[in-house]
Amino acid sequence: MHIPDAFIPIWQGAIYWLLALVFVALALRWARNEMNEEKLPLVAVLAAGIFALQSFNLPVSMGTSGHLVGGALAAIILGSPFAAIFILTMVLIVQGVLFGDGGITTMGANIINMGVIGGFVGFYSFKGILRMTKSMPVSAFVAAWLACLVPALAAAFEMFFAGTFPLVAGLITMGVYHAVIGILEGLVTIAAIYLITSVRPDLVETGAIRGKEVGP
Amino acid sequence: MIEELFQIERESYRDSVIHRLDARVKILIAFAAIIALVAIPYSPMIYSVGAVFFVFFAVLWCCTRLSPVIYGKRLLAIVPLWGIIIFFQIFLKNRYYTDYHLVMSLPLGICIYAESIEFAFILLVKFVVCISFIILLSSTTKIHDLLEGAARLGLPAEFALALGMMIRYLFVFAYMYRKITETLRTKCFDAFDRHLPYRYRLKQLGYLIGTMFIRSYEQGERVYTSMLCRGYGRESFLFVRKKPLRWSEWVFLSLSFCYIILVPVVIGTTGVRLF
Repeated sequence: MHIPDAFIPIWQGAIYWLLALVFVALALRWARNEMNEEKLPLVAVLAAGIFALQSFNLPVSMGTSGHLVGGALAAIILGSPFAAIFILTMVLIVQGVLFGDGGITTMGANIINMGVIGGFVGFYSFKGILRMTKSMPVSAFVAAWLACLVPALAAAFEMFFAGTFPLVAGLITMGVYHAVIGILEGLVTIAAIYLITSVRPDLVETGAIRGKEVGP
Repeated sequence: MIEELFQIERESYRDSVIHRLDARVKILIAFAAIIALVAIPYSPMIYSVGAVFFVFFAVLWCCTRLSPVIYGKRLLAIVPLWGIIIFFQIFLKNRYYTDYHLVMSLPLGICIYAESIEFAFILLVKFVVCISFIILLSSTTKIHDLLEGAARLGLPAEFALALGMMIRYLFVFAYMYRKITETLRTKCFDAFDRHLPYRYRLKQLGYLIGTMFIRSYEQGERVYTSMLCRGYGRESFLFVRKKPLRWSEWVFLSLSFCYIILVPVVIGTTGVRLF
């Protein structure tokens, strides 16, 4: 899902960068206004944690593997889609500049896909489904699945606009692959949230309970 | 990816002319080269520009005194996934060509076109040369120098502070990741072992990820407490000392910029083709 350099023309990359910067600025403003000073180190360390989480390969099928994106998990636990944008922007900067995973000119597109779309889709679908079903596992699963699938489809659209991959083939390949990985992401997200709520419920109160507050 | 962290850091601590350059110079050159390469249209002109840029990269890499094997290994770790997508381009038509010439017709209506092969090569050249500059940057610059360089170039203070803390704890989590994977190996747990029930494998991985999440939270709490002891407050920011570039760095930066800008302009305007 990390689109590398060369797959998006420079002018489109610039547009995605500008859009991403708007959301990064909003995430920074949210961090300044909503987070007290004790949250900033917490979020920074969480970003390192998410980076490590992305290193765990999960078996898919036929020898293929995928890894957790973590956007939905971060947004649900911290209780804001801007937390996902803030954290994933830092993760993408480190991945792009240090490891060459993702690109420099395409980083804006990657921030939009995984941070903005993943964070907003993950957080608001979690809240909405939790309100309807009142079930944490169901809502966390669907939220994590959507937060994996929708950014992948967005990446397919971006590559279609760039002219580097046809739309239908892109949607099918990216969609099917990430729909399968999304199931794993959903299951692992449930397990992670379940473990965190069992061991450190005080931490989850900052996020998932806030999600519950919106329920009737 | 996280396994590479230690190796990258080890390489960046070596000594050479390139290692000693200010991080800002290396960041600007790498980014300028990438932007220049991406800015070139999808045309065969990229073969010549890519080759000249790769020579520039190769000269810089030789100056680092790092083994080409290191470069090769890092490139091989990055290329395969997107290499497959580049390979599939040979079966596809795209908007950058109007006329297509059939090279080979395969069963199930799959065709290979000359223009599609050309486009795949164009993407490959752009991709590999861009990645090469990133490998050069990260292999010759310490992570904290990169951060300081970025802060001096105008990275927002809040981001610099958060990124600084994130980078510091990347290594903690890298050790944690290594310990967890070693523990799994000791217990003979293999997530890809088909003899184990799939649900059990996912549950174990979910618990592991949850454990890492909790540990990261707790680490964050300890960080916060220790930072408070050292006078951290809402108005605290990462202190980055002012450091002007040396004249030799200015000269190197200027010459590199001239090279990066002039090569595509000259090749584009004169129509000179190396291939």
